[in-house]
Amino acid sequence: MGLIARALEEKGIPTVSLSSAYDLTTLVKPPRTFFVNYPLGHTSGKPFDRANQTAILKDALGGAAGIAAPGAIVTLPYAWDDPFWLAGA
Amino acid sequence: MKYLKYVDVVQSMFPDQPPYQWTVNASAPWTPIVKPLAESAVAMISSSGVYRKDQVPFKPDKNDLSFREIPADTATGDLAISHDYYDHRDAEQDVNCVFPIERLRELAAEGFIGGLTPFHLTFMGRVFRKTQFLDEMIPAMLARIEAMKADLVLLVPA
Repeated sequence: MGLIARALEEKGIPTVSLSSAYDLTTLVKPPRTFFVNYPLGHTSGKPFDRANQTAILKDALGGAAGIAAPGAIVTLPYAWDDPFWLAGA
Repeated sequence: MKYLKYVDVVQSMFPDQPPYQWTVNASAPWTPIVKPLAESAVAMISSSGVYRKDQVPFKPDKNDLSFREIPADTATGDLAISHDYYDHRDAEQDVNCVFPIERLRELAAEGFIGGLTPFHLTFMGRVFRKTQFLDEMIPAMLARIEAMKADLVLLVPA
């Protein structure tokens, strides 16, 4: 996905990416990324949690223009409900 | 911060395979955002494998180099997911987990964003044919995004 973001920016179209894979995003370096530390399959929010989904989108879309450094990754402050999902990390 | 290392996760899923060669970039290209968000047409690209039920489903394993165009006004009940490599049980119940189309419509209605492009693009990740991906699939997607005059593109990997 990062490769698509990069290709868009090379064509002059600005992008903002969500990611739940911090390490992969660090490698590929899309121009602007907001990191959602949730299990894959929930990058844009928890199921049936409209407030959470809206907050993630508002943070990313609203925060995109404030990113000044190409390749920046901003970690969003939302935690997955099951505290043990990262037990093996 | 504690987070899953997907380089390790992927390697552990395929212990007999040579390590996957992830793309490593030292820097990122850059186009400044100049247009105010409230005036911007937003397009979404999602690698969730979401498709409309009247469209051809994605090959759910790998190397499907096609993408689908999802009309911005599509009802979520008309969407389905074809992708064997992430847990989409929640997204099956609420597609906004990976394709937040209802939330984007609300943001457009409240004026937080200027609007949505007529279509959003979806595809299925796990494309291992990098040359075809870079030389054929990405340019085709870019052409659609350009034609729809998107001011800002939101990318949602799954």
